[in-house]
Amino acid sequence: MDAGGVGGAGDGCFEKMETEEERTELLRDRFRLSVISIADAEAKKLGMQVAEPVVACIADLAFKFTEQLAKDVELFASHAGRKSVNVKDVTLSAHRNDHLTSLLRSFSQELRDKEPKTERKRKKSSEKGETSVPG
Amino acid sequence: MVFVSALCLLVVVTRLPPRFEMDATFDPDLIHAIFKMVWSRRAERSEEIDVVDIEVGAGTAKKSRPTTANPSALRVSCELLRLFVTEAIERTAIIAEAEGIINIEPTHLERILPQLLLDF
Repeated sequence: MDAGGVGGAGDGCFEKMETEEERTELLRDRFRLSVISIADAEAKKLGMQVAEPVVACIADLAFKFTEQLAKDVELFASHAGRKSVNVKDVTLSAHRNDHLTSLLRSFSQELRDKEPKTERKRKKSSEKGETSVPG
Repeated sequence: MVFVSALCLLVVVTRLPPRFEMDATFDPDLIHAIFKMVWSRRAERSEEIDVVDIEVGAGTAKKSRPTTANPSALRVSCELLRLFVTEAIERTAIIAEAEGIINIEPTHLERILPQLLLDF
């Protein structure tokens, strides 16, 4: 009887993992579609044709890059004592490449010019506190 | 006559999408979904560690709040990823052109991959 209970719990855990895996797969597929459209547009602009495996490979790389980017920006935000990721965090993640950083900076500037905010952002000083992450 | 006009329509229809794709980029919602997936994975893992060696209530309460991203940060992330993809294509295109081939093959990607990964 006891073993059955444990088995049931295990199954539940397994099921949860499986659905998470499925969700990851779904996101990966959607991401791949976006990469294909971008790559095709770019290739068309250059007057070239891209082989299928090349795009698939780039899509995979870009997905891994996205995952790494997510980890990076989360760490940068938490280092700054924030829980929300900022434009600055994303620009900081590209700090190794000066050209890339300047491109992102001008892009974010463009974004800001396009949608000028009437409300002024106020800094939340109440969120200050010592970080609770050990090591 | 009908056939010709249908053909014209077909040409117009097939020509339309590339114009929209001129500045194709990622969907910020998609990137947000991927980010949230990674963050939730990390949060779960760190919670597991917490259970073992931390008894401070306040710390865990603070940590349980999930990370969020503001919309413009997501837009900039999309731009960064778009630059990654276009840069990959452009560099492979340069190699392919140097060889005098119009098709971009996996070998061309292999040539540019190390420097591309160093640059991003």
